[in-house]
Amino acid sequence: MTNLKNLTIKSVRDGITNREFTAEELRIEFLKLIKKEDDNLNSYLSVFDASTFPIVDQAQSDIAGVPCAIKDNILIEGTITTAASKILKNYVATYDATVIKKLKSRGAVFLGKTNLDEFAMGTTTENSAFGVTHNPHDKSRVAGGSSGGSAAAVASGLAVYALGSDTGGSIRAPASFCGVVGLKPTYGCVSRHGLIAMASSLDQIGPITKTVEDAAIVMNTIAGHDPLDSTTSSKEGYDYTKSLNKSIKGLKIGVAKEFFKEGLNPEVASLVEKAITHLQSLGAHIDYVSLPLTDYALAVYYIIVPSEISANLARFDGIRYGHSSKEAGSLLETYLNSRAEGFGPEPKRRIMLGTYVLSAGYYDAYYLKAQKVRTLVKQSFDKVFEKFDAIVGPTMPTIAPKIGEFETPLSAYLADIYTVQANLAGLPAISVPCGKIDIDGKNLPAGLQIIGKHFDEEKILQIAHAYESTR
Amino acid sequence: MKLTEKEVEHIASLARINLNEKEKHKIAEDLGSILNYINKLNEVNTENVIPTAQVTGLENVFRQDQSRESIKDESQQLLSQFPHKKENYLKVKPVFNNND
Repeated sequence: MTNLKNLTIKSVRDGITNREFTAEELRIEFLKLIKKEDDNLNSYLSVFDASTFPIVDQAQSDIAGVPCAIKDNILIEGTITTAASKILKNYVATYDATVIKKLKSRGAVFLGKTNLDEFAMGTTTENSAFGVTHNPHDKSRVAGGSSGGSAAAVASGLAVYALGSDTGGSIRAPASFCGVVGLKPTYGCVSRHGLIAMASSLDQIGPITKTVEDAAIVMNTIAGHDPLDSTTSSKEGYDYTKSLNKSIKGLKIGVAKEFFKEGLNPEVASLVEKAITHLQSLGAHIDYVSLPLTDYALAVYYIIVPSEISANLARFDGIRYGHSSKEAGSLLETYLNSRAEGFGPEPKRRIMLGTYVLSAGYYDAYYLKAQKVRTLVKQSFDKVFEKFDAIVGPTMPTIAPKIGEFETPLSAYLADIYTVQANLAGLPAISVPCGKIDIDGKNLPAGLQIIGKHFDEEKILQIAHAYESTR
Repeated sequence: MKLTEKEVEHIASLARINLNEKEKHKIAEDLGSILNYINKLNEVNTENVIPTAQVTGLENVFRQDQSRESIKDESQQLLSQFPHKKENYLKVKPVFNNND
């Protein structure tokens, strides 16, 4: 069989159409590969044997028969979904997320569920209750997070593509650290129905892929209106691949100058600057732009996110599903103990922080203030987008950190500095690999981030594709 | 800025999480340093700024009040998730103690 590790969605479809292999043969090979190689990575939390989901042979679509991996905070009916938390260790999903329904109807093949930071809270997958995911380029480093399992599986060829979710960079960060493509769509572009909620006003599901074209292909399946998620846009039947091959000549691209200040690793900076020069050589007009609230946006994010978490995670109470404490004599003790035993340190920290900032006397000072600055963040993007088609900069300030490198919660939070603004403003953003840095004899990837206007995934995919195909 | 033990206990009881002594200490410290960081928002002038709760611009999204296709064996699937049950009833611990 062909080299599994280099397969893209496109090449799998060609292989199936030309009868080089069948979808079933391909799945068997991938399952063997995962069994052989995933022990070193810990990218999967569960793997489906061939009998779980029969392959629909007659399925005809641009993803039919293509093996994929799903972040383990997205529900697939009848299978365990843990969100990498002990509180959901044995939880069996009772329905399909809308994205899963869409993938199934087009013949997708699910290989398994991937590791993440507990409830998607983190930038490294070190917060998973089931162990860290290692970076395929250097096992002593993290894969990034929170969709670290999805990015590591795709980067190491243990899945052709994967779904992740992104609340403040959780698709783009691991994509950058693992050297793959990750797209966070516009808020409201992809249904969140069946995604275990972290921060509902920010969460989006999106693709992690080996190529920009594959990301566009996955978007064609998962995007669109859903009556079960009232925040989804009514825009339907959109083709995300249609502008991929258009020239970027004449496009106006802004470079976010605040993204190149103190804190950015100089080697990452030079790779990103090189990528921007390349875009210029392809005919794009490049100019510096200002996102003056960059530093404050992170503070806004770490108020709004814990606030929404403290409300969303109230449902895990040991009553209807999930872990229920055996050490409880009363209803109240069921709540107190089930949550104490089931949640790991990061969810506890964020629930506590969210409860604090929403508690009587603090609401105005924190939550309301954060919502106001969120308005200003959004306006700062609106202003730039009056004159520019897209904004570029680094995805992450560094290459993948060593396991254990972030010593305090705050030091890990600061790594999200370039990614959270797209979520606060609801904008689409993509990370594409822009080169590697040689360190300790290993080559560690860096990512170029491209942020677009609302529902203008088309333009950032076009720019990313132009870059990827000519560099 | 560090939270007092009393504050941590109050928040933990609001959040319905039992914390042990070690956790209380760690959370008081962690929350203190995070709050120090987010306090920088006070530098931003937000006079006359309208707060943003969501960014879709959508308002009053309604749907028809119609039944949907049901999931096969949905009630059995939901029942199978109950940590404690008696027949088809969810069983919970007593709300009040005898002394209450």
